[in-house]
Amino acid sequence: MRHDVRRAFAAGISALVLALAGCTSGAPEDDGKDAAEGYDPNAKVTLTWWTGQSAEAQNILEGLAKEYQALHPNVTLNVSSGAATTDELLTKLSAGFTSGTYPDISYAYGSWATELGQSGRTQDLKAFVAEPATAWEEIPPAARATATVEGRVIGVPALVDNLGLIYNKKLFDAAGLPHPTDDWSWDDFRAAAKKLTDPSKNIYGTAYSVSGSEDTTWHLWPLLWQKGGRILDPGGAPAFNSDAGVAALEYLRQLAVVDKSMYLDQTDEKYAPLFYSGNVGMIISGPWVLYDLKEQKVDYGVSFLPGFDGNHETVSGPDLWVLLDHEDPNRAGAARDFVRWLTSKEIDAKWNLTFGNLPLRSSEQGTPEFAAYVKEYAPGAQKFFDNLANAKQPRPTVTGYVEMSRYVGEAISKVLQGAAEPKAALDDAAQRAKPALEDR
Amino acid sequence: MVPSTLEAPRTRTGSARSLRTHRWRRTAGRAATGWAFAGPGTLLVVGLSIFPAVWAFLISRTRWNGIAPARDLGWGNYQRMVEDPELWESVRHTLLLTALFVPSSIAFGLVVAIALSQPIRLIRFYRTCIFVPFVASAAATGILAGYVFNPQFGSANELLRRLGLPAQQFLEDPRQVLVVICLIALWGQVGFVAVIYLAALQDIPKDLVEAATVDGASRWQVFWHVTVPALRPVTVFTGVWQTITVLQLFDLVFTTTRGGPLNASQTVVYYVYELAFQTQRYGYGSAVAYGLFAFTMLLTVAMILYSRRAKVEAF
Repeated sequence: MRHDVRRAFAAGISALVLALAGCTSGAPEDDGKDAAEGYDPNAKVTLTWWTGQSAEAQNILEGLAKEYQALHPNVTLNVSSGAATTDELLTKLSAGFTSGTYPDISYAYGSWATELGQSGRTQDLKAFVAEPATAWEEIPPAARATATVEGRVIGVPALVDNLGLIYNKKLFDAAGLPHPTDDWSWDDFRAAAKKLTDPSKNIYGTAYSVSGSEDTTWHLWPLLWQKGGRILDPGGAPAFNSDAGVAALEYLRQLAVVDKSMYLDQTDEKYAPLFYSGNVGMIISGPWVLYDLKEQKVDYGVSFLPGFDGNHETVSGPDLWVLLDHEDPNRAGAARDFVRWLTSKEIDAKWNLTFGNLPLRSSEQGTPEFAAYVKEYAPGAQKFFDNLANAKQPRPTVTGYVEMSRYVGEAISKVLQGAAEPKAALDDAAQRAKPALEDR
Repeated sequence: MVPSTLEAPRTRTGSARSLRTHRWRRTAGRAATGWAFAGPGTLLVVGLSIFPAVWAFLISRTRWNGIAPARDLGWGNYQRMVEDPELWESVRHTLLLTALFVPSSIAFGLVVAIALSQPIRLIRFYRTCIFVPFVASAAATGILAGYVFNPQFGSANELLRRLGLPAQQFLEDPRQVLVVICLIALWGQVGFVAVIYLAALQDIPKDLVEAATVDGASRWQVFWHVTVPALRPVTVFTGVWQTITVLQLFDLVFTTTRGGPLNASQTVVYYVYELAFQTQRYGYGSAVAYGLFAFTMLLTVAMILYSRRAKVEAF
């Protein structure tokens, strides 16, 4: 009897092991067929939608789902946030792929695009975005590029943003400094940061996160691009350790180490609150802080990023609605139709603008919702919208970006804390990133 | 009579068979009852411990980012562990933290327990106060401590300033960060050790102490030659327990420093988190996690063997 139990137990475990081994290795191959081929718009379908949002944002999207269902009675939408926080959504999706219970539409950060593309579960929307009804060209180019992974379009941008310069007007006036303008050079920025810094009052000119995360890394990219550098060379090898990259990091090093006018935040979370409380004069941040700036009643202004040689290029970190394939043309087609409706000029205004995000489409500029948004989130909203035009290059959507970003982030944080020189640190990061980038 | 002689053996075999069936049924019935009790627990253990553990082991032999198909690497990830300087750095930090934390938490815990076993007024209130930090979540403790030890805006430096001492960088100085994290961990853990010692102190036979006092032992001698030996099983137990706690320390590091500054507070568990969930190297992350598991297991087994051989009876 005991032996029987043991044998049964052992058999159970090995069955489990086999099942798992099957799970981790089997991803469907791309058969090159369009997922929505043969779609019948009148078929009865049920779609699952993970919004990645919580609380207020989730309520808005649930309302929109109801609105869509009223217009299309044959479509049922199961709406949920998908995970407790947006960060956990990727883990949830990967678990969903393993167990076969993934949604039809999911929110995703742009930096996940490559991984999701490689899952073999995404639809290829190349034909869909080419249809005039999608009005693909109205979406900022950097966002479109993020949705395109190795030639496949895996989703439609859900939200766009960019980095600009946010400054505290009170601190500038107290220091007798003129406010930043869109034509500022980084030398102007450095001089102002130096003047604003007052250790006796715990005031820093500017701040930078040295946690080594993507937040650390992507703040460097605009400076690199402005200097004429690039993140990867055309062959996909690291190129950020070029002279341009070294010069960009050297500039930051001078603020942090030489001038000591930069508050170094060990996490990603302290510098924005310190800006709100008047302890930091200028931060490089995006439209996601507009809501808090309004809540905290900060007297602030926004300008484009300062530039090197008149180049004011910035970086954008778009999020996506990723469309997933369930080998059912009706579900695939219905999901496309829904996302087209959701990201249309009229409906996007009801979601992104109401919630304080930038509009997704250039055509929204003339809508009454946009006027209301600009008024409500003044003075930042209009400036960040205009700044979309400065987001010219996308972050690379290649395998290994996430790992590479970590090494670059660590290099930056070492340099800013005086523990390394820019050239050596970036060379080291490039060396470590190489295997991750080559491994496709 | 012929049929009966013919039948007799048949009946015998029949009865033997039925007896066996009967016995089998009884055993099966007993086993079923047993499994009815043990089943749900077994399912939980298999589902929540063995299943993930087996899966993690399979993952540890692959290169996998959680989404794209995994690629088999054999023992590649384990070989890589040997030559990963960042891993050895985090091992060094973890060992240093253990060496700082375990003895001091035991020493502090004992001192606090002795203080709390004195007949003083409001003793229950004091006991509760000491235990409260242990109940608070380490994440909350970490966030709070992050504010207290902030070099520019924290109250710890404010206190130093009032005492006329120079301001410190605390969590932002690679040389101080582990000590500060150890202090924060102590604040949360001393209550636990003290409560265990408090119970053990009450178990020491009073006549033993009295006999020693009658024989002319001083209070210090009583403590050193009667109390400490009587507490040995508890000391071994708390030693192992606190070692496991500190080896798995994650939430404090996450909420205070995220492994910084310059990776100076990156412990092994934090490194696993970073590998798996920050840079999506699930395969290598699982391999490191298995390394830590093997080490913790070895340590625990060694301590159990020691306590059995030395008859400390801690386990």
